[in-house]
Amino acid sequence: MTVEPWTIKYKAKTSKDLAGNKPAIEKLREWIESWSKGRPSKAAVLLYGPAGVGKTSVTEALARERGWDLVEINASDKRSGEILSKIAGLASTQSTLFSKGRLILLDEVDGINLRADQAAVTTILQIIKETKYPLILTANDPWDPKIRPLREACLQIELKRIGVRDGLPLLRSILGQEGVKANEDALKLIIDRDRGDIRSILNDMQLLSNKNAALTVDDIDLLSGRDRTESIFEVLRVIFNSRTTASARRALSISDIDQEMLFQWIFENAPYQIPKPKELQEAMYALAESDLYFGRIRKTQSWHLLSYALDLMTAGVAVAKQTPPSGWVPMRFPQKISSMSRTRAIRDVRKKAAASIGLKSHVSTRRSPQLYFPLLRFIHEHNPKEFERIATSLDAKEELDDLVSSELKPPI
Amino acid sequence: MLTLLEAALWTEKYRPKTLDEIVDQEEIVSRLKEFVRRGTMPHCLFAGPPGTGKTTAALCLARDLFGERFQDVFMELNASDERGIDVVRTTVKEFARMASLSQVPFKILVLDEADNMTGDAQAALRRTMEKYTETCRFILCCNYSGRIIEPIQSRCALFRFTPLPESKIVEHLGHVTSKEGLKVTEAGLKSVVEVAEGDLRKGINTLQAAASMSKGITEEAVYQVVGRAKATDVHEMLTHAMKGDFIKAREELRQLLVKYGLSGSEIVRQIHSEIFRLPVPEKKRISLIEAVGEIDYRLVQGGDEEIQLSALLAKLASNA
Repeated sequence: MTVEPWTIKYKAKTSKDLAGNKPAIEKLREWIESWSKGRPSKAAVLLYGPAGVGKTSVTEALARERGWDLVEINASDKRSGEILSKIAGLASTQSTLFSKGRLILLDEVDGINLRADQAAVTTILQIIKETKYPLILTANDPWDPKIRPLREACLQIELKRIGVRDGLPLLRSILGQEGVKANEDALKLIIDRDRGDIRSILNDMQLLSNKNAALTVDDIDLLSGRDRTESIFEVLRVIFNSRTTASARRALSISDIDQEMLFQWIFENAPYQIPKPKELQEAMYALAESDLYFGRIRKTQSWHLLSYALDLMTAGVAVAKQTPPSGWVPMRFPQKISSMSRTRAIRDVRKKAAASIGLKSHVSTRRSPQLYFPLLRFIHEHNPKEFERIATSLDAKEELDDLVSSELKPPI
Repeated sequence: MLTLLEAALWTEKYRPKTLDEIVDQEEIVSRLKEFVRRGTMPHCLFAGPPGTGKTTAALCLARDLFGERFQDVFMELNASDERGIDVVRTTVKEFARMASLSQVPFKILVLDEADNMTGDAQAALRRTMEKYTETCRFILCCNYSGRIIEPIQSRCALFRFTPLPESKIVEHLGHVTSKEGLKVTEAGLKSVVEVAEGDLRKGINTLQAAASMSKGITEEAVYQVVGRAKATDVHEMLTHAMKGDFIKAREELRQLLVKYGLSGSEIVRQIHSEIFRLPVPEKKRISLIEAVGEIDYRLVQGGDEEIQLSALLAKLASNA
């Protein structure tokens, strides 16, 4: 069995190998061709379309066809400002006449974090103005207001989701090379389910074809189609749908999401994705073990332990899950992350109230919430005047008012 | 701490002021009175479940020894708030080594929840206790004497506080109800006693909560209070889990941790005692205890409270 992801193994070698979007690819090729006659009126192309339709692949294929160097940077990278100025240098230096050509790719320009990098858009505009090489920008959402100036400076080319007509031959060809049999309805279903997102389709196909039997509609049904707006969903999908440790561990290479953040995503979604209690128990214990390793790493700075933590949280969860949920289950945002600031405020209020009560009632701050908060809440609800009297006598009116009001709000 | 205002929490308002007022623990009280008669005391270890009078006994002993001015030479430290070795090295030592300016022969330092101190802190404490015996006597309070290191135990007079018998709880609650002018039905009183489970503080808190609705206290009122308290407690979480609803149980857990601010080990402790009330076969209880113990240990090792406890809930849910 191959360990290489199909998304990499079957990357298009040339632009002709790409499935679908023929007119758009032709337009892009013509534009690149036109550089041989000198710098065209628009020195940059904004290549846009949903995730997984081949924006990066087509760019790579076009560069490869010509034997050009591809200079690729992810515009949403944290240090984009620094990298961008390097790119600016590369783009504006004219190489010698016979040296190789260059294609410059700024991936995911709509991912630029404007707050962190205000100068990025200006820098990119500058690069477009001065570049001596074809520049390709990609975006999922070309209408994002923050990249409007870029949109106007670029020739816009859209890549659409791939349909069954173009998708089927591609899948047939790949499955043929892998020696996997599949019936046509199954393939149509998976293209439809994954909304023409080739990357997802290939990932799903690879997961399913670990089996030795022909793929059927039932197999595809095991994978529920999901909304995929961010790469994290991709990672989660791979983890929750993997049957083998190897494919689950691969999930980590799909995205560079912070590992402890990913842990929270998995922890949040496990009970929704794993409907069988026995399997969930196994998964939660794998996560708990993983958590212990993260704890040990923090404590001892023994980073070599990280691989155990990661294996347990990916493969440990994946092999625990045997039964998929019935129907489509959306991924949820981790509560731990979303409520971090909210709970911090509540915790502060609580701590202050606990300290005031503890001081007056000879119990520790740790125990006083448990011993006295229920009592105070009850009195607050049934006898506000009495509550006020108690709060005043505890010399903690403000703290306790904060406490009851913070706790009356239902959690989001 | 006395304030000019009348204490509004009944547990404080009706806390005995002298050893004579303590309703139970006769044997302990008589031994403590002997200390008062002789005007001296050794280091003491008060062990027993919550709400059985440990802190009260310490306060009464100090007041009986030194009169109302006892507060000048009396310090209360909640060991579990700041249980580190630093506290022992600084706060405790500072207090212990300074000879008292008052006429009293020694100071008293009460270390509450001493069984929550780390082993290192206890070891440091042992030296401090030894060194400053002349100027300061320690009263260590704890739930379990076994969690106090041997060398400290051997330096202390051990007092074992037992849960209050029903008759004593009734007696003390009767005192409170007559002072507060409450009318309590027999069934109402019985249910408070039941809720208290030998913990007088719990009994008095229940009574005060019920009284906030009406001066007439009935069984229904008490159940309303308990129902309320239950929502905050671990019982509901376990019920969801046992029904196989892990998602609800985890939500409940998050409430306990964030909204009510219970610590993970506190929740583990409560789960442990709830196990004996769950509707499960006897053998099952033992395997649950083992699982709870494992989680408790993991928390000590530095595991995340929410994640470790979630694993436990998933285990409960899988046996639904």
